[in-house]
Amino acid sequence: MDLKERLQQVFVTVFDNDAIELTPQLTADDVDEWDSLSHINLMLAIELEFGIEFDQSEIQDFANVGELMASIEEKTRTLK
Amino acid sequence: MFVENIAYACVTRFVENGQERREALRWIENDLSTESFTFAYFERESNRLAAVLKQLNVKPGDTISIFLPRSLQLINSFFGILKNQAVSCILFSTLGEEGLLDRLSNSQTRIILTRRSLLRKIIAIKDRLPALKKILVTDLDDHQDDTILSLKRLIAVTGGLFDYPHMVDKETPAFLQYTSGSTGKPKGALHVHGALGDMRQSFRDIMQLEERDIYWCTADPAWITGIVYGLIAPFSSGALQAQYSGSYNAASWLKILQNQKVNVWYTAPTALRMLMQEDENAFLTLDFSSLKRIYSVGEPLNPEIYHWGRKTFKVEIYDTWWQSETGSMMIGNHPPMPVKPGSMGKPRSGAEAFICNENMDILPAGEQGLLCLRMGWGSMFRGYFHNDAAYAEKFQGEIYITGDLAWRDEDGYFWYVSRADDVINTAGHLVGPFEVESALLEIEEIVDVAVIGADDPLLHKKIIAFVKLRNGQAWSRELELKCRIYVSNKVSTTAIPAEFRVINRIPKNQSGKILRRVLKAVYEGKDPGDISTME
Repeated sequence: MDLKERLQQVFVTVFDNDAIELTPQLTADDVDEWDSLSHINLMLAIELEFGIEFDQSEIQDFANVGELMASIEEKTRTLK
Repeated sequence: MFVENIAYACVTRFVENGQERREALRWIENDLSTESFTFAYFERESNRLAAVLKQLNVKPGDTISIFLPRSLQLINSFFGILKNQAVSCILFSTLGEEGLLDRLSNSQTRIILTRRSLLRKIIAIKDRLPALKKILVTDLDDHQDDTILSLKRLIAVTGGLFDYPHMVDKETPAFLQYTSGSTGKPKGALHVHGALGDMRQSFRDIMQLEERDIYWCTADPAWITGIVYGLIAPFSSGALQAQYSGSYNAASWLKILQNQKVNVWYTAPTALRMLMQEDENAFLTLDFSSLKRIYSVGEPLNPEIYHWGRKTFKVEIYDTWWQSETGSMMIGNHPPMPVKPGSMGKPRSGAEAFICNENMDILPAGEQGLLCLRMGWGSMFRGYFHNDAAYAEKFQGEIYITGDLAWRDEDGYFWYVSRADDVINTAGHLVGPFEVESALLEIEEIVDVAVIGADDPLLHKKIIAFVKLRNGQAWSRELELKCRIYVSNKVSTTAIPAEFRVINRIPKNQSGKILRRVLKAVYEGKDPGDISTME
């Protein structure tokens, strides 16, 4: 699975919603269950799935899924 | 006694009085694009929704639930339901399946309005809801079957006119507002059309809007503040208001205050605390000179945030206090009374508040006790839907016991202390420990659980879950994630515990009741006190 597919699976699990389709433009306003509280779940799930860590300032900084994916890519590249 | 139907007072009356082109609301999309809507628009569109419900044989007293995020469709649905004298029940779109089931089941919801992205939650529980007959989906192009219908298709064949009685008996049920208690399932506080007078009068007395002031209430309409002071009071007062479709976003909110030239802003302490965390420069480059006053509700407005807000926005901040049950603001601050930072303010005109001990003796100034209200105001809830026992517990004769602890000073100002029960007020949402505990107990790794609220600088209270794990089970980040996701999707995002603590034994008394005060003491590192009743 590539990064997008793995992230898609994380979203489906966290929001219990098979219908979510990840696009780089997707934001919290597009997903009913995505609020500041479930966002913490999402970040924790991403950290566990990709073996990375976000610091506190990063967590609220992603404007959309595109920025989130770029950050995951950057962090996983550093890990290699 | 007959009173105006709330929908008549809010929309139809303006059209009848030749004010159909008057601007009622500026709708702000997530990208901050704005569109203006007149009273004629809300009259026409709510008529269409009302006609659809009539076609579906909705009768006065039927419960119609709205499970939609903030939207114009939600507002039109609310007024359309009231025009049929049916009972509206607006539900948070972040509710999980069990949270939704509890509310739809207790309210005996006959029809629910929703959208495709939320439909799966209803389908998952539909078989456990025998009263539910139709699901109207706002963004479905065609009917799916006899139950799941396209609202667009139904509306397309209706006209913009709808005949309905403008006057109704004052005790006619209007809407249900679900609230959590310290035990048992959420309870639906029932409000009637006769509440309108108090809602409108309190809005005028406390908010004191002037002609063409722009008013912004940030509360979601699924919250009592969103219904009463985001819909009913401003609409029925002819106020011009802004409404934002999105949720909290610091940059967007600050731009709305500036760009919409908001004059009177009704928000929550948690929102102000979140704004306080932003870089100072975010405020310096914006112009808030249109702002005249800020009002706050939901949790205590602590002095720190009060002083920060005054300094940042250069206006007075007035805290207000009321509950889902009271139907309108009961205690508050407003011009020209001087504000005592941290105080709830004084009882509004028509409200009689006092502090009692457990024997219901009224306590003098300076003594802490139960915050109580004397019955007799019009917006008081008329019962918990299908739960007379819980309703009866809230009263001692003519005295309503709010469930909050407070004290009154010599000048008549009231000061909030805490909840008197185990309900957790987190970011203005009341969460019952029972709901969270029930969800966590369904997780196979957990054999026992107890939930408490603890002080939090951002949320007022945060939810702490003490869990006892199955033998041999270890705590892990994976298990924490599983618990968090489960609570979020079963109950609500607002019910997600902020912290988990693993414990060997949940302290209980001999009758099996959880000793939450012991857990609070453990969490705070304090002496748990008398534990002689512990099993």
